[in-house]
Order: sequence, then structure tokens, then C-alpha cells
Amino acid sequence: MPHTATTTSSHLLKKDHLKGFLRKLAKEYRLVAPVRNRHSDVLFTVIDDLDAVEIELCEPPQNSLKQFFLPQQEQISTYTITLEGYDFRPTQTHIPPTVYFGVHPCDLSGVLYMDVVFSRQQRDPFYLRRRQGSVLIGVNCNSPAPNCFCNATGSGPFLEMGSDLQLTDLGDRFLVEAGRTSGHALIERWQGFFSPSADKDRAAHYQTFLEARGRFSRQVHVEQAIRRLEAGTVPDEVFAELSLRCQDCGGCAYLCPTCTCFTISDQQLDATSGQRLRSWDACTFAGFTGMAGGHNPVQAKTGAIRQRFIHKLRDDVRLNGRPSCVGCGRCVSICFGGTDIVRFVERACQGSL
Amino acid sequence: MAGLATTFGSGAMTNSINEIENAEVILVSGSNTTEAHPQVARRMLAAVDRGARLIVIDPRRTRLAEYSHLHLALRPGTDIPLLNAMMRVLLDEGLADDLFIEMRTENFLALRDMLNRLDLTETAELTGVPLPLINQAAQLYGRARKAVICYCLGVTQHVCGTENVQTIANLAMLAGHIEKEDTGVDPLRGQNNVQGACDMGALPNMLPSYQAVANQDYREKFERTWGTRLPEAPGRTLVEMTHGGAQGSIRGMYIMGENPMLSDPTLKKVEETIRGLDFLAVSDIFLTETAQLAQVVFPAACFAEKSGTFTNSERRVQMVRQAVAPPGECRADSEIIMALSGRLGYAMKYDSSAEVMEEIALLSPIYGGMHHDRLDQSWGLQWPCWDRGHAGTPFLHKYYFTRGRGHFMPSNHTEPGELPDREYPLLLMTGRIYHHYHTGTMTRKSERLNRECDHAVLQINPEDAKALGLRQGETVRLLSRRGEITLAASITDQVATGMVYTAFHFREAPINLLTNDAFDVGSGCPEYKVCAVRVAKMMSS
Amino acid sequence: MHDVLTTCVYCGCGCGLYLHVEDGQVCGSQPSRHHPVSRDNLCVKGWHIHESVTHPDRLTTPLIRKNGTLTPATWEEALDFTAQQLGRIRDQHTGKAIGVLTSAKCTNEENYLLQKFARTALNTNNVDHCARL
Repeated sequence: MPHTATTTSSHLLKKDHLKGFLRKLAKEYRLVAPVRNRHSDVLFTVIDDLDAVEIELCEPPQNSLKQFFLPQQEQISTYTITLEGYDFRPTQTHIPPTVYFGVHPCDLSGVLYMDVVFSRQQRDPFYLRRRQGSVLIGVNCNSPAPNCFCNATGSGPFLEMGSDLQLTDLGDRFLVEAGRTSGHALIERWQGFFSPSADKDRAAHYQTFLEARGRFSRQVHVEQAIRRLEAGTVPDEVFAELSLRCQDCGGCAYLCPTCTCFTISDQQLDATSGQRLRSWDACTFAGFTGMAGGHNPVQAKTGAIRQRFIHKLRDDVRLNGRPSCVGCGRCVSICFGGTDIVRFVERACQGSL
Repeated sequence: MAGLATTFGSGAMTNSINEIENAEVILVSGSNTTEAHPQVARRMLAAVDRGARLIVIDPRRTRLAEYSHLHLALRPGTDIPLLNAMMRVLLDEGLADDLFIEMRTENFLALRDMLNRLDLTETAELTGVPLPLINQAAQLYGRARKAVICYCLGVTQHVCGTENVQTIANLAMLAGHIEKEDTGVDPLRGQNNVQGACDMGALPNMLPSYQAVANQDYREKFERTWGTRLPEAPGRTLVEMTHGGAQGSIRGMYIMGENPMLSDPTLKKVEETIRGLDFLAVSDIFLTETAQLAQVVFPAACFAEKSGTFTNSERRVQMVRQAVAPPGECRADSEIIMALSGRLGYAMKYDSSAEVMEEIALLSPIYGGMHHDRLDQSWGLQWPCWDRGHAGTPFLHKYYFTRGRGHFMPSNHTEPGELPDREYPLLLMTGRIYHHYHTGTMTRKSERLNRECDHAVLQINPEDAKALGLRQGETVRLLSRRGEITLAASITDQVATGMVYTAFHFREAPINLLTNDAFDVGSGCPEYKVCAVRVAKMMSS
Repeated sequence: MHDVLTTCVYCGCGCGLYLHVEDGQVCGSQPSRHHPVSRDNLCVKGWHIHESVTHPDRLTTPLIRKNGTLTPATWEEALDFTAQQLGRIRDQHTGKAIGVLTSAKCTNEENYLLQKFARTALNTNNVDHCARL
């Protein structure tokens, strides 16, 4: 456990006062939080009426924050066709400053990864205009869900960096850590809601972490799979076997908080105008690598999932020092063919088939 | 669905989709499940991962066949002899469920006598499947404690489609694989609300909830509620309507959200019939091939712009909820129908789709407990749902069949309407592919789906391709006695020699110009799975 | 910005999916986790269902054929003309001369209304849909 570092200060927020605190935030920010709707699904939702929703902090939401910063489909410009050619006008979008509340460590890690992707070399204005001005309030995971394996990817169950405020559920109260200046400012601004934490609260926090760490129902050997990929000892048959079972839905990439591939396409609206759209894409689709003339460097049948796992577990480790799988478990058990990353790691670690 | 109606009494999946995951043996016939019903295939693969055995009956080596333990690659159109042979094996091995047959079924002796007269070797030869394989499949199915049969249009789109289905029902009853959870006979419905359209009486011989038009009591019930006299004689089926010819007896048509100009067999005849009408009105969301021939086209709201219900393949009636307002001047079909009805002297006034459902519940026993407030608060309800207190029915025929006793309907082999000959030496099968839906009216508008697949391909065996001198991807002519199209060849051993396969989604290669309009008398289903064709190089004549 | 739970239209499985709505436009879709069929995933068609809803080729106005071409018309014109034509055929040739195709892609309520319309207003049992195609 990266135990409470000296740079972070910790406070207490009584659960009774959480709603009051959120109500204050909602006056100045758009508020997004995981909401359990009347169909019992949990989704990150824009909250208009705090009294009309049930915020769910335990069951992980089915969507990640990706769709808020990189929407599934986004108009990035419109164009008119003139005698001189195409005249493009970038689409102006006003994104209100937003508080994302109740973000689990995996999703927080996902946002931090996207920050790197969209500002490493070229700064992506469409991503950044949605990301700038956002406040992330995380909540640590006391009871990981059955498919979770963030303990194996170094992205949970507790985080103490990356968010503006990080909450830990201690029963009747939250321990609140402020990792950034913006977080300190929030506590400063509404200090009436917070009280100083004592040693016993920090001890309870540590105890909670230890218990959470023991609650994972899966042991996924991500580290070992990474080593084998780096050493080139994962047999081709593993990729081929899993690719053959891939049913080409794209669901793993679309649900993944760190899959950031997109495609840009133009759509003509009438004879003289159109729009340019950016939309999610998936490396498992044959058309993702299809070339003009019909050639495809990726053998769809036996190589469909190769890129996905190599990128997440080998190439991103080379580039960033850590895998871009955050262990959220969203792709696990949703796969039509059962070819999710956990199965890949298992097969890769088995070595030969 | 006439096949299950006559044997079980209900033409629908006997199980829920999730039950398939728990079966020990899954027998799939004439269904390209991974492409046409991905969620069902997901359950099948999960079952296989847990140790279930998968038997696939399909002339093509489909993806599902690749995952199967036994693949029975039968000669197209020989489903009946293949299943009869399996039943004979069950009898010979003592795997017939005598108690079930005794307690729950009738007409068994007719089936037993027919099976006992069967020459197994001869039958196996007819189907092209080796006898030991048939034997293995029969034993696997017969010995399982929980076994489901899933079938789709590969079974029904034959001249003997009804008999094919009856034979499947025979097999399930003989083995006693019905009436239990995770065990049954499951026809997978192709379109999203084909089950519902049938339930709603969108059939020439049935009023809602399968109450026969010909039955006076049923008619009178509807007449009382609807306040008008109803015609007595059953009407014409779709193919009868669209194949009447230019001077047919149908003079005017109203078509809501269907595209017979791409979906129906022998398109030339459809076009001639439709062009010969005095009047055609179409309501649709895009200007379809059919709408292009209309005198009036109504812009309809799509599913995201209206509320109502769909009934899925497992009989689950679920809410469709409006998400956005219709674009432009679009209106929901219900509004259009009410406006027309009023003008034609029969006033209809419903304030909401919930009010329509209240009337459906009033008149349709199997929908008796379906009300929007209940459906909205749940994941829907599976019919039969008799009243407000009824929780719906996840699997059918527990304790008794809908019709009372299950009725064995023995059948013998029927030759397809048209088989390959010297002039047209190849057998054409048509079907669906993963990326597109029906006539492509919607999916062909999707940028991503089109990128993944934007043209029709003709699957042809490497040997046949070699004989014709074809290269992979080469554009070829495909001809039948009824028409000709061009499309790209895809050389693959998914199809055996002597047969070719393509999909019907593409207006650029409307395969139904070629298909035969022979159809199943029992159900009115066209024989899309067999007709004779010839493949020619583009340059040759 | 909100998500509306509805039912997929692309096959008989009947997945529960959320349409993502922003500024009155459908701009995305995602599966429902607890729905008994979709169970947190959709096939490729369901994941891209929004693309056909918002396509610019959508019909947005009634059309009437004038001098051989389909021409934009008002709802009143289109409804009056259709009712007059169907009424004329019904009265001259009886309802048996009219055929009605309902749709396996439309809702139960719409199918119910259209078969009722055929059997009452048009006095015909010539009503069917492409159940078998």
C-alpha cells in the first residue's frame, strides 16, 4: 500500500453530509456520478436533480468515463462545398466545467492514460476541451466485483494519486485525501463539511485497504503475460485460437476505458454541405486495417485480437512503463466468443497449448 | 411456424435464450447462429466451454460448425431423411422416452411404423452424411439429460419447410426432450419483431393471438369490440400478394416498413406485380426499392422516435422507448394508420401505444397480462401471460402441450422445387451475414457496417472455382432460369463442391432476382435455400 | 445528455440497449448490463445502431408521385389521396382487391393497428408480413 504520503492531507466527510456537499458542487459544476437507474443498471449519468437519483458507489458502473471525453460519435467540423473546394468550420462545443464523482481507481487510471495519449505528441483539441475544467473525485474500491483484477495491473483497488479528491468508505464516514491543489481548494471552499482526520481514521483506512486487497476473486497473472510477450514466448497458436473465437462485435474496445482508437469520416448532408465525424473504432474489426484495393495486412481470422493484447500488455509497457489494461473487468464475461484479456493472460502464461 | 403449431400447438421458442447456456447437448440445424443471432451463439459457446456437446447440421462449414463436436454436412434439402435416420437410431438403441411418449403424445405408432420401414444405409446415402456420424449424433442427443434443438430459416425455407419442422418436433418428442427447463425446441426468429407481428394477427388466416379468422366465435368476439363486421374468408399470403402478376386480383396495396422489392423471391415477378397495381402507398424511414415504385410515400418515425413493444424470439414482450423526436415531418406509423382509418370511415382514436396494448390484452389471451406499466418496470414478460397476476412463461409445454398432447407428424423426403442440372449445375443457398440486417435499408446506411462489409460475395468451393478458372475476388455472373446478377467470388471451403452461397442484403446484387418462387404450402415460406444456378466469367456469354 | 433504455431492432434476440442522446440527437448506443439477453454486450450492428437513426437520407416529408416523379407534399394531401385511392378500390372491387403488408420491424401496437385497419376499414384479410424471409 502506498500509505498516505506526507504531501497529501486527509480529512473526514460524514456520509450524512455527502449529499449536501454534492449539492454545493452541483451549483457550480455539472455533476456526473454513477447512478443506479430504475432498471437496476449503473451508469455514469449527468445528474440534474440530486434528489431524484440513487448514486451507486459499490457496483462499478457499466460505462467508463471515456464517453465523456471521447464520445462514441462527435461532430468535429462541418463543411460546405464551394467552387474553390471544401470550406471546413470546426464545430464549437461548450462543455461546462464538470465534477466526475465516484470514479473507481480503474476508471481514474483510464482517464490518466487517455490524458497521456491525447497530449503526448500532438495535443488533441477535441479531447482536451472536454477534459479541461473537469474535477475528478475518486472513490476507492472496498469490495472489488467478481471480474475485477486491478490488483494485477497496478491500478487499484486503492489509489492516492491522480484524482482531485480521493474518498475511502469507512462505514459512517469517508476519509478524504486531497492530492492536488484543486482538491485542497475544494476542501477549503466548503470546509464546513470536512473535519480533520485522526490517526485512528488513517488506521481504519489502511485496514480497509488490506481487506479490499484480499477480496479479489481472480488471480490474473498480468505481469507474467507481459514478460512472456516481451520475451516473445507466447505461441502464435494462442493468438490464432482466440482470434478464431472472436465474433467481431467490437464490444471489448468500446467498453474499455483505455481503448482510444477512432476513425474520422465525412458524411454528406446535402448537395453542398456535410459534416466530419469522429467515432470509436476497434482494432479487432477487419476494416480497421483494410487497405484500398482490398488487401489487409492483418489476417482477420487468425490475427484479429493480436494487436489488442500486444498493444495493451507489451507496447504500452515499453512506452509508458505500465500496461494500458486497468483491470476494470468490463471486457470479461461479455465476450461472445470468450476471448477476453483474462483468458488471453491465462493462455499466454500456459505457454504451449 | 406451422410446423410447431401442428405438433406442439405453439409456433415459438419453447425455451428462453439463457437456458441454452445450461444445455448438455445443443443440436443446431439450418442456423448460421454466430452471424444471425450473436447472442444465442454466445450462449452456445459458453455451454461448449463448460463441457456441452455441440452438433451442427448445415451444408456449409459455418463458423459454428468449426466450433462443433459433430458437423453433419448434409446435402441441402435432405433434413427429413437425416432426422428420420437419427430417430431410427434412437428407436434401435432403446433411447426413445417411452413414458413421455405414452403420457404426453399421440400418433406415435404412425411414426414408429414409418421409421421401421426406413433403410438406414440408403437414407444416409441420400443425405450425404456418413451413417456412423448420424449414429453418433443421435446417441449424443438421445442420451443427454438436457438437450435443446435450435433451428432457423435453413430448415423452414424449403418446399417442405413445415415437414422439416414437424420432423424436428418428432425427434424432440421421441427423445422426451421437451417440457423441461434447458430442454426444448427453439426456432430462432430472424427479424426483431417477427414473433410479435405474428402474435398481433398480421397473418391472413389469424386474428391476434392465433385465433383463426375462420372461427365464428373468435370473429364475433372481435366484431363486438371493434364494432364492425369482419370478412370471413382467410386472405392472401405475402407471396400470393406480391406474385399476382400485373393483372392480378390485388389492385391496391399499403406497405408498412417492408421491402418486398429486395426480400421476396423471383423479383421480376414482384416488380411486375407492383408496377401493375392501381395504387401503392408505402410508409418507411428510407426511400426503399419498394417505396421508389409507390404513388404515395409516408415518412415514418423509427424505433428511437416512438414508443411501443417488440416481442423477441423467446416470446419476451419488451418496451421500445422514445429517445428523441422524429426528424422533419416524420410521424409514427400508428398516427398514419389512425389518420387513414378515420378518412376511410372507421374512426380509431388512441392517445398512446399503452392504450393500444390495453386493447391487445383484452382480445389476445396470450397477451392478457401485458400492460405497458408492467413491461416498463421489468425486462418484459414472456407470453403466454394470461393476466395481471401472471409472471409470464420462460419455457413452454410444462405438464401439457399447448394443443393438449404432442402430435407426431411423420414425413418422408421431398425433393426441392428445383435441383441443379446440366444447364444450371450449381446449387444456390441464400442467407444472412453478420454485418447487415434484412434488405439493408438501415444497416447499409451505417458508415462502420459498410466499411466492414459493403458488397455481396458468392462463396464457391476451390474445386469449382478452379474448374471455372476463377481468381479470389473476381467479379462473376451468377445466372438462374429467372435472372442474372454480378458479384464477387469468394473462394472458400466453407461450401462444398457443387454449391454456392450468398446473402440477400445488397441492392447492387439482388439475389432474389434468381431465387425460385416454389414455396412451402404449409407456411407460405419460399424456398430460398435451394435453386439451380450457373456461374460464368464476366467475359463469357 | 442522457441515456434511454430501449430494444434493439436488428434481430430476434432483442437486446436491451441504451441510446445516448445529446442535444436531441442519438449519438451512441451501449448495452444494458442487467438485461437478460444483452448482458453487457451488443453485436456490431447494435453498437452502431445510432448511425442509421441519424442518417441524412432519412425520409422527412410525405411524397406523392406527380408526372412520374415522387414530389414532396403535405400530410393532408398524402393522407387524403391515399384514403381516396384505397376507398375507391375497396368500393369498386371489394376489400379482396387490397393487400396490406405489415412489418416485422415495427412495434406490436403498430402491427395490431394495421391488421385492424385492414380488417375493418378496408374489409380484407389480405394482411401479412415477411415472417418467413
